[in-house]
Amino acid sequence: MSSDSSVVVIALSGELDVARADEVARALALPGRGTPVLLDFSDVSYADSTVISALFSFSERASEANVRIAVLIVKPQLIRLLEYAGVGEAFPVFRERSAALTYLLGNG
Amino acid sequence: MERLRASGPIVVFSILLVVAMAILAIAGASVNNLISRSFATEAQIRNARLLAEGALELQLDEETGIRGWAATGAGTFLQPYRAALPILPKTLDGLGTLLGKLGIGRAAALRDARHVNAEWLRLVATPVLSGPRGKGALQRYGKKLIDRYRIDIRSIEDGLSILEHKTDTATRRAIEQNTFVTVGALIALAITGLIVGVVQTHSVQEIAQREAESARLRAAYAAERRVSDALQEAFLQKPLPTLVGVAFSATYIPASEERKVGGDWYEGVELQDGRVMFAIGDVAGHGLEAAVSMNRARQAIVSAALVHADPAKMLARVNDELIADRGRMVTAVCGIADANKYSFTYATAGHPPPILVEPGRAPRILPIGGVPLGVLANRAYRTHSIQTVPGATLVLYTDGAVEFERDPIEGERVLLEAVRAALEQGNAEPATAIRDQIFGFRSAEDDVAILTIAFVEPEEGSDHGHHEAQIIASASRGGTIVPSSSTTVVTKTNAA
Repeated sequence: MSSDSSVVVIALSGELDVARADEVARALALPGRGTPVLLDFSDVSYADSTVISALFSFSERASEANVRIAVLIVKPQLIRLLEYAGVGEAFPVFRERSAALTYLLGNG
Repeated sequence: MERLRASGPIVVFSILLVVAMAILAIAGASVNNLISRSFATEAQIRNARLLAEGALELQLDEETGIRGWAATGAGTFLQPYRAALPILPKTLDGLGTLLGKLGIGRAAALRDARHVNAEWLRLVATPVLSGPRGKGALQRYGKKLIDRYRIDIRSIEDGLSILEHKTDTATRRAIEQNTFVTVGALIALAITGLIVGVVQTHSVQEIAQREAESARLRAAYAAERRVSDALQEAFLQKPLPTLVGVAFSATYIPASEERKVGGDWYEGVELQDGRVMFAIGDVAGHGLEAAVSMNRARQAIVSAALVHADPAKMLARVNDELIADRGRMVTAVCGIADANKYSFTYATAGHPPPILVEPGRAPRILPIGGVPLGVLANRAYRTHSIQTVPGATLVLYTDGAVEFERDPIEGERVLLEAVRAALEQGNAEPATAIRDQIFGFRSAEDDVAILTIAFVEPEEGSDHGHHEAQIIASASRGGTIVPSSSTTVVTKTNAA
């Protein structure tokens, strides 16, 4: 986890499957004081259903805590997988980092 | 961690061993010290006793010399008297010093002995040596003074004996106490050793128990797997309905890895008026819990289909039930095939897209939308309506059919090609044919379910001509048969 000015960035990489479920669960922690969170999945190429399930529960917790979140996805395979999962309907998905940060730091 | 737990008691035992050795060493040193001190005391007592005996003998030498000289007048009798005369006071001085060191309360007796000796010299020795009147003095005072002197010395000797006894007793008691401490330390050490042994044995037993437990868990897992396998098999073996106008085919491939008992399922239920409900779904995760969640989701979809005609509303209802149940995430497609109208309506929830195959056209991927079931409350889903043609086939599948290489883009390409090849052959079991196309030379990492729903093309002059004519008739009444080239997809979203 790193801080991109006033955005907390949670970056994961590689193929996220059930074998890495604990690691993903630990990584998906909400920061304090309502700091916006960027889930940086730009190096993630795969996410299985357990990880997608964890993403939804993270988005649920973030929404309850009134924390703005965005997901950055670059790899086309993951983009397609998250299209299947309807992730874009639950929280903002971006393909470019600058767009994601603009959204997270915006007033809207 | 295991090793640490096992060696813990040994560490404790070693520490206790060191403590016990220290106690023994200290006890030994204190006994040594005590014994050497008591030896010193006893040596002083011995010396004091010798001095006391000497003092008595010297007094007797003086007395014997004077008495002999008085009786015989022989000068030789005075030799012991003269020898004793200067030594006796020194002897009494030495005795006095030792008695002071030993702390014996016999100073009065010693003082009296000096006094008696002085009196004896004044009242006996001096008159006897100076003249004939002395003989009377010898008889008057001699024996009396000597007896008193003897009593004084005895008193001193008694004091020495008492002290000697006290010293012996104290030393013996100290040695006994020391023995108690030593024996106590040894017993404590032995008990600790015993406890360590028991704990050690216990931890060995614990390891054995843990192994037994893990064997039990393995057995439980195997049993769970049998149950979930049986559940899944039971669901899948429930035959799909054989209908006029709509043909189902389905296949299921379990995961190649043993631990992956999946939660994939499919469903086909005949409704009224030539309408058929179909569904396919996938529960996240594996094992008995997934199988149970699968059953729940599946029943929820079937019962929702009996209440709602609109697939989006069915999914919204199922989502509410799964959210209330706090079950696992489920992805699904459900829909209705209308054999009278050659139309499909369907809605998807986080699931890979259906594929539509129409005669003479390349298979195509249909639109999707909606989050998986059971993850977010109060979700709305979208119903997609597809007007198609006789002979059209809808292909539904679970993610294992496109994610075998963890690349859904490549997976979709392979799947579309497999669907095309399988249906081109006009196979009676398209699902199996698609499966063979994809997994003929690939292994399924996850489990895979494939379901196809086809609108049967009417064959004129066949045995089923009568039925098909009816279907065409009813479809014609609906006036919805449209050429395949103008197939439309209409999408509407139900209210949340």
